Amino acid sequence: MDDFPTVTEAAIARWFGIAPPNDPGRRLAADLAHTIAAFETLRGTLVFEDEPSSFEAALQATKETGV
Amino acid sequence: MIDLADLTLVDAAEAVRTGQATSRQLLDACWANLDKANPVLNATIWLDRERAETDAKAADQAVRDKKPLGKLHGVPMAHKDMYYQAGRLSTAGSALRRDWRPGITGTAVARMAAEGAYVFGGLNMAEFAQNPTGHNKTFGDCHNPWNLPYITGGSSSGSGAAVSARMTYAALGSDTGGSIRLPAAACGVTGIKPTQSRVSRYGAMPLSFSHDNVGPLCRTARDCARIMSIIAGHDPMDPTSSGEPVPDYEAALTGDLRGLRIGVPETYFLEGADAPVLAAMDAALKVLESRGAVVTRMTLPLMDAVAAYGGIVSRVEAATIHAQWMRDDPQAYGKHISGRMYPGYAIPAPYYVESLSRRGPILKAFAAEVFAKVDILVTPTIPTCLPTLAETDIDHGPPGTEHTFMAVSVNTRPFNYLGLPAVSVNCGFDPNGCPVGLQIAGRPFAEARVLRVADAYQRDTDWHTRRPRVLS
Repeated sequence: MDDFPTVTEAAIARWFGIAPPNDPGRRLAADLAHTIAAFETLRGTLVFEDEPSSFEAALQATKETGV
Repeated sequence: MIDLADLTLVDAAEAVRTGQATSRQLLDACWANLDKANPVLNATIWLDRERAETDAKAADQAVRDKKPLGKLHGVPMAHKDMYYQAGRLSTAGSALRRDWRPGITGTAVARMAAEGAYVFGGLNMAEFAQNPTGHNKTFGDCHNPWNLPYITGGSSSGSGAAVSARMTYAALGSDTGGSIRLPAAACGVTGIKPTQSRVSRYGAMPLSFSHDNVGPLCRTARDCARIMSIIAGHDPMDPTSSGEPVPDYEAALTGDLRGLRIGVPETYFLEGADAPVLAAMDAALKVLESRGAVVTRMTLPLMDAVAAYGGIVSRVEAATIHAQWMRDDPQAYGKHISGRMYPGYAIPAPYYVESLSRRGPILKAFAAEVFAKVDILVTPTIPTCLPTLAETDIDHGPPGTEHTFMAVSVNTRPFNYLGLPAVSVNCGFDPNGCPVGLQIAGRPFAEARVLRVADAYQRDTDWHTRRPRVLS
């Protein structure tokens, strides 16, 4: 993962034409490793019978009914 | 003699309607506090005194002519400077829109205008609504009315500070990850993030299509209920707005909490919480229990997924909206704004789609487990004592400052992904004299319930009536 920041910056430049704007941007891009780790942790732990489904429908299905 | 600026929004409207005060007097009262406090708070981006005086004059004439009066008749207001009013400035807190004047008027502003309110200014905010602290490179940082070196919360920084300092009776904010609730908490006022889709977003600057919400910051829950009754409901101009009927939110404020089941999450929301914040929350819970509520400590399901997925959605959507400016003029942004958006371009599309496609199932699973046991959730709005502007200044601080910065919104972000309504009320003060916020969240479309709880709490406490130090 040592080359992760370099690879990430290259991918953003190639796909979007956007360069790192500053040092915080570089640091936060490197922090995406934590995002990947969070997704890795979730893999295989969530099983939903109704996936994918509408969020709007879920709001209706779980809504408050009278106070 | 009462200072008219100390009136709540509801009382101010009533004063004008009954002839106890004129709209011009309300405007002058707000302006007196602007003159006194704004030079140190920096809560505004623009002001239009001349037009406000014209609007006040028209409002007072309507009273004398005994014309039908709306629910907000003659009440002066200022809003976060990201709400569009045709022909008027709407800077979004950014140099990139410093002189921008939209050609349309947003639905929320228009609905309040139809009820007689008028707008006298645009309030300071985080650039493009993208920080939880109130820093702003272009227009200057907004300062906390209770203790100037401390953050106001963001991104609706000026809305929180201006309502707290009695410069306006209410202000619209927007909430994508806590941007209404955080300044409400930090400035000691009341703010509600509605259910996703409850309020039209037409004519409000977009940040994250899936997580953006429009809502008010006021001094009381009753004031929030008044505004919610006006701005909620389907809008043909925003096809994503819900057709769910809008209840009478003010009528729901009965003070009756008998049998209410309150859940207090023992995990996630209390991790890293400071003792003064926990003490304030526990004291608030006792107040609610004294009205008949029953408190249960519980563990919430799926919080790892909510945190991971929620962060993906807002980052990718914000990055998408700003891609052209990020290519053309990245230095126009504050470092912490462009720096935080930048990683959004590296997040793979399948991560984003997974995060969105599981949002509905996660909400259903979360609600089935949690709301079978309790009616509402109560947490600290911000788990720590407020940090200072300096402690959270990514642009000028050392590496690692971003973690202090992001910790501010850790308790508010989950409810944006889940789409749930949540209100923040003041429940005390920390050792630095800064307010502590209590977050009350409920099921989808439970605005009436969470406002009822907030109102009941405010009937038994006086935190929300206190004037900030900047006015003393």
